[in-house]
Amino acid sequence: MEEKPFKALAKSSGRQGSSKSSPHSDIRKLWTTATLSQPKVNVALSSVCDDSEASSVGGNTRRWYNQKAGRHSDIGWEDSEDGEDKDSFRQEELDGHSLLELQLHGGSSLGSHLEEGDDDARTETERSSSMSSLNFSKHTHHRAYWVEQQSRLPLPLTELMENEALEILTKALQSYRSGIGRDHFLTKQLQRHIEGLKRRRNKRLHVSVH
Amino acid sequence: MKLKEGSFLWYLYLDKLYCLLSVRNVKALVDYFHLLDVHRKNTLNDVLFYHFLHHVTNLTRTQINIVFNMLDWSAVGEIGFDQFYMLVCILLAQENRLEERFIFRHSRPVFELLDVDGELRVGAANFHMYNFLFNIKRQALRELYHDFDITGDRCLNYKEFKLFTIFFMDKYQERQKAEKEKALLEKKRSRQVNVSQKKSLLGINGSESRI
Repeated sequence: MEEKPFKALAKSSGRQGSSKSSPHSDIRKLWTTATLSQPKVNVALSSVCDDSEASSVGGNTRRWYNQKAGRHSDIGWEDSEDGEDKDSFRQEELDGHSLLELQLHGGSSLGSHLEEGDDDARTETERSSSMSSLNFSKHTHHRAYWVEQQSRLPLPLTELMENEALEILTKALQSYRSGIGRDHFLTKQLQRHIEGLKRRRNKRLHVSVH
Repeated sequence: MKLKEGSFLWYLYLDKLYCLLSVRNVKALVDYFHLLDVHRKNTLNDVLFYHFLHHVTNLTRTQINIVFNMLDWSAVGEIGFDQFYMLVCILLAQENRLEERFIFRHSRPVFELLDVDGELRVGAANFHMYNFLFNIKRQALRELYHDFDITGDRCLNYKEFKLFTIFFMDKYQERQKAEKEKALLEKKRSRQVNVSQKKSLLGINGSESRI
C-alpha cells in the first residue's frame, strides 16, 4: 500500500511539502521519517527488538479511557476490522507506553529539573549528543536505524522547543499575574521556571559561541 | 484550523497509514510537555493549555475552551500527557488532511471524545460542536445521521459510528483515487501538448531551413 523502501535520511517529512522554503527546513531532515508504514526495514531483528517502533493514540489514552470503565459494551466489534487494523491493535499492546511512563515520571526529561540548577550537566549532555553523531560512520549498514535510536533531540529542535515554550510561558505569566496576582505561589513558580529556561538558553548560547 | 508554520509541532511527523507518531517523536513531545508543565504535576491547567494552543494554532478562545472541556473528561481542570498526545495527533492529522483516516484508525478514542456525556451515544449537536477538529462537512454530517442512525434515536452508538468511519474512509479513498487519476490525465495532456508543440516547431524550422 504505502510501503516504501527505507530511505530515512533522504526523505524529509512529506506533509509540509519539501518545496516550501522555510528557514528551519533543514531541521526536519534531522528526523527520520521511517515509521510504521515502512515495515521492511533493513535492520537486524535483534537490534529492532530493543525498542518498539511506535506508540498508539489508543494505547496511550487507554489508561485515560479505562477511567470510563464499563462504557465498552461492544468490544467484539473490533474483531471485524481489517488486517492492518489488527496489526495496529497488536502494536498498541506492544507500544512504548511503559517507556513513556518512564519519560513522564523519570527525571530524564528536558523540563524536569529546571529549578534544581543542573544546567551545566544538561549542556554537557547536549554537547556529547552532538559528538555521538560522529560515530554514525561505524554503523553505515544500519545508519537510519542508528539515527532513529539516538534518544536525544537534535540541538536545533531543542532550541526551537525551548524558545517556543518560553514564549508560551511568558504569555501565561501575564495571565497569571492579572488573574491570581503577582504574589501567588503559582505565579512565582512559573516565573522561576521561565528564569530557569532563560538561564539554560543563555548557557547554551555561551557554549556554542566558544 | 491551521498549525503555525515553524512551530515545534509542525516538525513532528505523523505516520500516514497508522496516524501515529514514532516513539522518538513521542519522546520529543514528552519533553515539550514537561517544559510547559511548570507546576510539576504532569498536567497542563486551562491557562497554560490556552496559551499553548493559541500559540501553535489559529483556534479562537471559544474553540480552545471547547477542546479543553472535551479533553478534560473528568473535569479536574487539567489535562495529562495522554490527552495532550491525542490532541497533537488530531492537530497533525488535520494538518496532513488525514482526518478520515484518523477517525477510521482511532474510532474508539474519537468516539469517546465525542461522547461528552458518557452515554455511549453521540448526538448530532456534539458532533457539530467538534467539527472544527475533524473537518466533517455539514452535508456529510447530515448524511451520516440519515444513513447510519439505524436505531433511529438521533444519536450514534459506537457500532453505528464505526460503520460511518468505514464509509467515510471508503469515500476518502475514492476521492484520493479520483485525484490521482485526474493528475495522471493532466500529465498525459501536458505531455501531448509538449510533443505537438515540438512537432510544430520542428516543422517551422524545417520549412525555414528549406527556404
